[in-house]
Amino acid sequence: MPHSAFRTRLMPEDLADVYRTTYRALVRFLYRKVWDAERAEDIAQEAFARALVHKPANARGWLFVVAANMARDDARRAARERRHLTLLKSEPAASAPPSDEALHTEGERSQVRAALEQLTPRDREVLLLWDSGLSYDEIATQTGLARGAIGTTLARARRRLLEAFEAGRTGEHVARG
Amino acid sequence: MSHVDDGTLHAYLDGELSPVESQDVEAHIAQCPGCRDRLEEERALIARADELLGLAAPPDRATPPFRPGDRAPPVRLWWRVRLPLAWAATVVLALGAGMYFGPGALRREQPAADQRTSDLAAGRALPPVAAPETVVTHGAAPLAVRRTRAPAAPTSVVVEGKSVAKDKYTGEVVADGASAADAARPETVVALRARDELAAGALKQSVAPRPAPAPAAFPLPAAQERAAAVARMVGPYALTGPPLTLDSARALVDTDPYAVPDLPVRGIYRARLIGFSAVVVVEQALDSSTAIDVITGRQAPLSLQAVVVTGAARADTENAAERAVRGRAAAASDSIAAAERKPEAAPVRARGAAANRPATALVVEVRGPLSADSLAALERRLQPLRP
Repeated sequence: MPHSAFRTRLMPEDLADVYRTTYRALVRFLYRKVWDAERAEDIAQEAFARALVHKPANARGWLFVVAANMARDDARRAARERRHLTLLKSEPAASAPPSDEALHTEGERSQVRAALEQLTPRDREVLLLWDSGLSYDEIATQTGLARGAIGTTLARARRRLLEAFEAGRTGEHVARG
Repeated sequence: MSHVDDGTLHAYLDGELSPVESQDVEAHIAQCPGCRDRLEEERALIARADELLGLAAPPDRATPPFRPGDRAPPVRLWWRVRLPLAWAATVVLALGAGMYFGPGALRREQPAADQRTSDLAAGRALPPVAAPETVVTHGAAPLAVRRTRAPAAPTSVVVEGKSVAKDKYTGEVVADGASAADAARPETVVALRARDELAAGALKQSVAPRPAPAPAAFPLPAAQERAAAVARMVGPYALTGPPLTLDSARALVDTDPYAVPDLPVRGIYRARLIGFSAVVVVEQALDSSTAIDVITGRQAPLSLQAVVVTGAARADTENAAERAVRGRAAAASDSIAAAERKPEAAPVRARGAAANRPATALVVEVRGPLSADSLAALERRLQPLRP
């Protein structure tokens, strides 16, 4: 393998730019995968640490791919640990009961989460990548979809998200009587 | 222009159409009330979807400062701690099994020796080139990997049962076959069990006491078969330091690091991985946004010397090429005969050889953001990396 095939190195200062523009987007993307802000930030940090070592040519795209993989591995392990976590969570958490407003926000969050989980993996991925600030071109590269298919996929994903969210809300109201 | 489809409307509203395409859409909407209404509907839909996604956004915190100086070692997350422990548990298990079914057992029990030897035969019969090799099989979590052939190296085989019961069971079955002087049957039993273990995600690896200066031609058909069943290396690795030259990478693992031919190499790095004395990672570009890591690892000799219980020794390998030519059944009967000749001397001699030339397995694996199938396909294409 010729050494000349090595691509030009990504310098740390270039990555610092990517970090400024991409870190929050990456955390936002990861949060919808692990549903834990701390862990999303940990994974984003780890992805950047790895980018420093790997020096990928297209750092932004590389970061999302690597982070998505780490989040998936993390979710698998988290599932394995769930019993343990459930035990921990059953401990009394905070002395003050959460406010009605906080409960309401939490309820909506989990409804959106449930709605997102009803999308097909591809629709969800495209929607989350778009919401994290990636362009159609970047999403196409990331997912392997044709660029021309991104708009259609997004249109479908958004519509289904709304439908699933509304259905979930109606279902809950019915259940509450 | 015909009516504008939903996808184009969304792309238009997302600002992702080219200027020309946008003008087309605008021109159509100006004279089509239906599409104008739909445009407004889709605009509302997008706003509502954004609002919902905003509800499920992480808390807005300040971006932590970027400190390139903190690069090594990377952040140790909680899950990075757990896998090495699993690996340690495997070694403990293997050690225990090795002591229980080790050389002592070999001396006590003739059938055990037969079983190991017939495993040897099955192991050798897989690659048609049949360079002698050591096969270590021990059941454990879905772990590490395989291979490397070195001509004229000591041949030895270890089988450590997934469980005590299983080991005993297969031992008995093989003993039946051997007592009936039926060379084919133990091999069949072993082959069946091998499939069994592969299906169970058991670990299978070949060990060469020392890599040959010129690695055997790879991939071989048999190696491909095995590669398909390859399990994962233990745990994540941490890259250390700046990129290596190919020469220093070669010096590190004492052989050519492996890589997928015809893919551009982005860099060669040294890495740390528990259980390995040297790990070289060749990063290759699959396309502009996807990179794979080809990991060539030299296992730490300590764990192997502790774990491996050898069944045959150097002198036997003179016959290796010959046996390979004669084929599977012949190899099986031949090695059973060999084991019957010197069931006791063999382990002793092998231990001596191991002391002089520590046996260290070469493990190769491809990692990347791809499906397991794609990774396995890439693994089948691996070749030693040459300048």
